[in-house]
Amino acid sequence: MTAGDLLLKIEDLKVTASVAGVDTDLIAGVSLNIPRARIIGVIGESGSGKTTLARSIIGLLESNVRVSGGGMTLEGEPLATARDFARIRGAKVGLIMQEAKASLDPLIRIDRQMREVARQHRDRTASIGVAGHADLLERLGFLPSDIQRVMRSYPHELSGGMAQRIAIALALIPGPSMLIADECTSALDVTTQAEVVTVIQGLVTDLGLSILFVTHDLSLAAGLCDELVVMHRGEVVELGATSSMISAPEHPYTQSLLAAR
Amino acid sequence: MAIDAATAARRGRLRLPSAPLIWLSLPLVLLVGVAVLAPLLPLDGARVQDLNAVLQPPVWAGGSWSHPLGSDQLGRDVLARLILGARLTFAIAGASMVAGLVPGTLLGLLAGYAGGPVDRVISRLADAQLAIPALLLAMAVVASRGNSVSVLVFVFALASWPQYARVVRAEVGSLRERPFVMGLRAAGLRERRIALRHVLPNVFGIVVVVATLQTGTIVLAESAVSFLGFGVTPPDISWGQMLADGKDLLTSAWWVAVIPGLAIALVVLNVSLLGDALATEMDPRRKR
Repeated sequence: MTAGDLLLKIEDLKVTASVAGVDTDLIAGVSLNIPRARIIGVIGESGSGKTTLARSIIGLLESNVRVSGGGMTLEGEPLATARDFARIRGAKVGLIMQEAKASLDPLIRIDRQMREVARQHRDRTASIGVAGHADLLERLGFLPSDIQRVMRSYPHELSGGMAQRIAIALALIPGPSMLIADECTSALDVTTQAEVVTVIQGLVTDLGLSILFVTHDLSLAAGLCDELVVMHRGEVVELGATSSMISAPEHPYTQSLLAAR
Repeated sequence: MAIDAATAARRGRLRLPSAPLIWLSLPLVLLVGVAVLAPLLPLDGARVQDLNAVLQPPVWAGGSWSHPLGSDQLGRDVLARLILGARLTFAIAGASMVAGLVPGTLLGLLAGYAGGPVDRVISRLADAQLAIPALLLAMAVVASRGNSVSVLVFVFALASWPQYARVVRAEVGSLRERPFVMGLRAAGLRERRIALRHVLPNVFGIVVVVATLQTGTIVLAESAVSFLGFGVTPPDISWGQMLADGKDLLTSAWWVAVIPGLAIALVVLNVSLLGDALATEMDPRRKR
């Protein structure tokens, strides 16, 4: 398995929400190939279906939302039933969310949260080439002198950037092949955003992870991603290598996004 | 160095409980200790009638040291009755509180977390339970099962579980939508573990509030059923029964009712403050 091999294949995926008996398509037939060791940016405005796409990959849709057509395969194996998703969730595909602090249990110290994830799955921190959880945090840019304090902290005692790197560490413990980053830098200031982006780039170049980077920030995605997927009203309107899309956008919606930058 | 030691203790695995927690536990521990040891104390005056010394006032209101808190209409010593009565009062209130809290909280968690049909069944059961007046229920159960402490505990637990279930269900319903639950699911944790290990501790604060309110309600309910004659009956003694006995004498011999009433109020206040301190202790965000 080398960089560029197919990791996740999404074929004509349809996702439908039912509200009071009325069906609305949130995603109306999206096909997407995600290769190994690449950062794919999913761009679109609020309501374009990018978060729904991210959630459907790990099978965590709202209770009134369902996959109504198409299919997905991860490393060649189908992702359809609750069992399929339970098998890959955390173990193969991790999720990092916008509000990192709120995505950690407020009553439990960081080190215990790390141990809990490690117990649930096989602890594969060693496969990342680090010796234990403290080492993993050092790898993610924490100061060695700070790590003991951070591990004994509760989530509310951390800054937003620290909490986001903790969330990344938690996602890495089971040794996944892919991370979904859903607006994971949107709540951070520019400097902290840069730190987190550097960490994410390191995951791809050093560990060969694939990242699905969901964002509304075109500038950020343009600087980070190998390929871009532009979504609009539940459909992919344009898809391709970042450089060519930025220099010559084809679809009017992409052009308007670029113009608004 | 002292600060270092304190910090180390706080960061260590075994944390010392905070000062308010210790101070607020102390009176309750003392009271329970006295109640447990009551049979060993010379408290014959609690049940022995002395018709030559009825309605003696407490010592500070002109009474004598032979009855420090006065005596009742049958000449029984109020202090001795208070100490002996604490046994049943604490046993009934404590056992009923736990027996209502545990199933109520778990059913509320299940209803709030699972939602759907499970929620509908549990919520309707709770509503049905609340529709039956507790006193009526107590009368019916006592009439059919006889009168004993365990029957009283059963009735009070039955009457109080919906209070926990409703509050916990509502809180869990909102906790379930919080990002950290999504985060735990995405990390591959099983639903049962998320519910029991992550959502349940987050409702602890609100359960404590309900529990302290319920403890007060149970002590008063016990006095009400004792007053109606199918709760704690003589020769057994409880604070509620003492309160009920003394209420007709309020204008002539206030101490017979006021002293057990004050004891109930102070214990309920203590339980409530302790519950609040406990909730603070559990939640790192509320600590300073």
